[in-house]
Amino acid sequence: MLKRLFAAGAIAALSISACAPDAADAPGTSDAGEINLFTARHYASDAAVYAAFTEETGIRVNVLEAPADQLIERMRAEGARSQADVVITVDAGRLWRADQAGLFQPAPELADTLNAVPANLRHPDGHWFGFASRVRVVVFARGRVDASEINDFLDVADEHWRGRLCVRSSNNVYNQSLLAGLIDAVGPEQAESWAAGVAANIARAPQGGDTDQIRAVAAGECDIAIVNHYYLARLQRTGDPADRAVAEAVDIVFPSLAGRGAPFNISGAGLAANAPNRDNALAFLAFLLTETGQRQFAELTNEFPVVAGVAYDNDVLAAYPQITPDPVNVNMLGENATAAQRIFDRVGWP
Amino acid sequence: MAVSPLMRQAYPVWPALIAAIACAAPLLAVAALAVSGEWSGYLAHLWSTRLPVYLINTLHVTLISGGLAVVLGSGLAWLVARYEFTGRSVFEWLLALPLAVPAYAAAYGWFDLTQAAGPLGMLPTVRGATGAGLVLGLTLYPYVYLLAREAFSGQSSDAYEAARTLGARPLDAFLRAAMPMARPAIAAGLALVVMETLADFGAVSHLGAPTLTVGLIRAWAGEGATADAARLALILVTIAFLIFALERAQRARARQTSASGRRRPSRRIVLSPARALAAVALCLSPVLLGMVIPLGRLAYRALSAPVTRDLASAAQNAVLLAVIAGVLAAMLGLAAAYALRTGTRRGAVAARVAGLGYAVPGAVAAMGVLAILGVMQTWIDAAWTGLFGSVFPVMLTGGIAALIFAYLSRFAAAAIGPADSALSRVTPTLDGAARTLGASARETARRVHWPLITQGALLAALLVFVEVLKELPATMILRPFNFDTLAVIAHNYASDERLGEAALPALLIAAVALPPMIWIARRIVRAENGRAEAVRPEAGH
Repeated sequence: MLKRLFAAGAIAALSISACAPDAADAPGTSDAGEINLFTARHYASDAAVYAAFTEETGIRVNVLEAPADQLIERMRAEGARSQADVVITVDAGRLWRADQAGLFQPAPELADTLNAVPANLRHPDGHWFGFASRVRVVVFARGRVDASEINDFLDVADEHWRGRLCVRSSNNVYNQSLLAGLIDAVGPEQAESWAAGVAANIARAPQGGDTDQIRAVAAGECDIAIVNHYYLARLQRTGDPADRAVAEAVDIVFPSLAGRGAPFNISGAGLAANAPNRDNALAFLAFLLTETGQRQFAELTNEFPVVAGVAYDNDVLAAYPQITPDPVNVNMLGENATAAQRIFDRVGWP
Repeated sequence: MAVSPLMRQAYPVWPALIAAIACAAPLLAVAALAVSGEWSGYLAHLWSTRLPVYLINTLHVTLISGGLAVVLGSGLAWLVARYEFTGRSVFEWLLALPLAVPAYAAAYGWFDLTQAAGPLGMLPTVRGATGAGLVLGLTLYPYVYLLAREAFSGQSSDAYEAARTLGARPLDAFLRAAMPMARPAIAAGLALVVMETLADFGAVSHLGAPTLTVGLIRAWAGEGATADAARLALILVTIAFLIFALERAQRARARQTSASGRRRPSRRIVLSPARALAAVALCLSPVLLGMVIPLGRLAYRALSAPVTRDLASAAQNAVLLAVIAGVLAAMLGLAAAYALRTGTRRGAVAARVAGLGYAVPGAVAAMGVLAILGVMQTWIDAAWTGLFGSVFPVMLTGGIAALIFAYLSRFAAAAIGPADSALSRVTPTLDGAARTLGASARETARRVHWPLITQGALLAALLVFVEVLKELPATMILRPFNFDTLAVIAHNYASDERLGEAALPALLIAAVALPPMIWIARRIVRAENGRAEAVRPEAGH
């Protein structure tokens, strides 16, 4: 038995060395080469976007998916040896933090391409840019709430909603960025009293994700919920009858953030500081903004394309009213993230 | 244990010392980060705001999961070890299976079932610290069960029978005679349950019970405060150290009462049909609650959700990692167990230090591994450049070796516990007898210890195998490109709030864990029976 154990150990050691990945030797490598993608997006449908890119360019896409903070930590540890070419996250605050850590490099070659992206959805010096956007919204119960009751996010802190609001934990970056935006709009003091108001209105201790908040509204646990728009869009477009019923029991409004416009955030990408496949990475980044790329985000993940005039097939998005976005650069979401988190801590938003 | 000079020379401590250094290295890197990092005042801010809540929740969740695990684990172990009823031999291994269910998967399933809109909405929603404690207890109790079952089928049954003969009622005899004998095993299992509870992130954060670990991840994710996250991790390590100390104290107390290493086959009591039915119900309920119901809910959701990812290669990857880590961990566990057995302070410290990583959330352990590999790469590159004029051709991060390193440092405790618990049944008198008969230390280990500790080693390998199948954060951050495991895919779907799609990979984790669990459970039973044969003539039957 002991012998067998050691034999197994030896085999294990061998397979470790045998399996040590060497991307360059991987089968199927074409002459066009490859890019290494660090992404915090965890949408299975993104594979379709990568496949489309590979088909168009012949460049293979190697993917590492992990939470943004962990990706940042790995890039830091790997330093100049990092194999990452492109970094993608789903929140501007995280892009800001990666940039602060010096993990991006400017891509002057993309300057013209990036002009298609609204100026407020990209880094002022082009270190990263949004390639799809999402908006934080309020979902409410049909019949129990009238859309006219909520015009602005400031309204949901009103006593009128005491015990009627569902929202997920403040651990979540979407809430953090919402408050970061509000800090920019009205200053930290007023933002803190807003957060305190919201915390007081919460109907049940935060639990689950955004979809669970929508389900809670449909089930009558609360009357309104703060969520990202695509979670409702997904329920509206699903084939699951139970989920369709949930979606039909609620409706959506796009409140402004302290009168400035709807709080948009981005899925964004940047060129890694030590990108070993720089040219391929630039091709990939540009591809994200092509009609093919943009269309896929709208159709597969229900996000808004950032390039104006892209045609796509998505009934739900098409039915939305005209939404006026907050014009301020999303870069400030990162700058205010720490302040936002501390406010959450102080007001006791769980 | 009395420290015999004989044993001190006989079994080397150095393998355990090396293992301990390797296992503790990531933790030391985290500690270094905690000490050297900038002091931002975040901890003071946290102390005046959320830290008390984190601590209270941590205590609340841990008490419930630990308490539930002890009651379920030891109670059921007693039932299957001492009584004969229909299906007993199936339950013997079936009861271990909820361990294959990731706690976060059970949490997703239960929450989805019992929230107001769910099909069990009339029940209280499984949420908060109590809900999280219950879910964790139901998925982790097999640690206690596996270790206790082994103890109950051995000598502690003798004590029970003696107590019964002396007129004690069954419950009294169980609590006062059998339990104390099994206490080291139960304590070892409980220590694992508690540490895994401390390190859990998925279940507690989904159910809204922010523990220290949630606070730690929040500090890291929300503030980018790596150093402060490391400081919070040190609190967890301190708690783990205390738990170890308590466990050792338990064991020291119990050891005085266990004089004999002789194992007699325990005669199982045949239950009447009515009682047998109750026993079956008792055995079924934790399996239903911990595995079948939550996974069933996920499976139901899976029906309406196509999985687009390559689950076959993810399963293959997961098994490859789990097997390698399991085998290495078993060796490591034995090395540490022998080091403990020498009774030297060095040996004890080595084994304890090697096990500390278990209480640290995987994300933090991974952070430490990254830091170490990063520094090593810099050194190697510099040396290589000096010699050959180019950087070292291999990247240390992003390879499978890095993952195995992380697993071993994190799960060493899961391997040391069973190995040590098994080896502690090999009493010094046995060694003495063997050595008196002229056996060398090596021969004693091979011919006396090994047959007695095979189960412990197998159990160690199995626990780490299952742990690695479920492991998420370290796998996530250290893995190579285009390399998914079942847990990673399940997590990615779940964090995208696609429960249905997450269901199939979560089910597959359980499915993959099933065959080795059955195989090992059978082996353990066979080993017991084989030993019974050997002992029977001597026992005079």
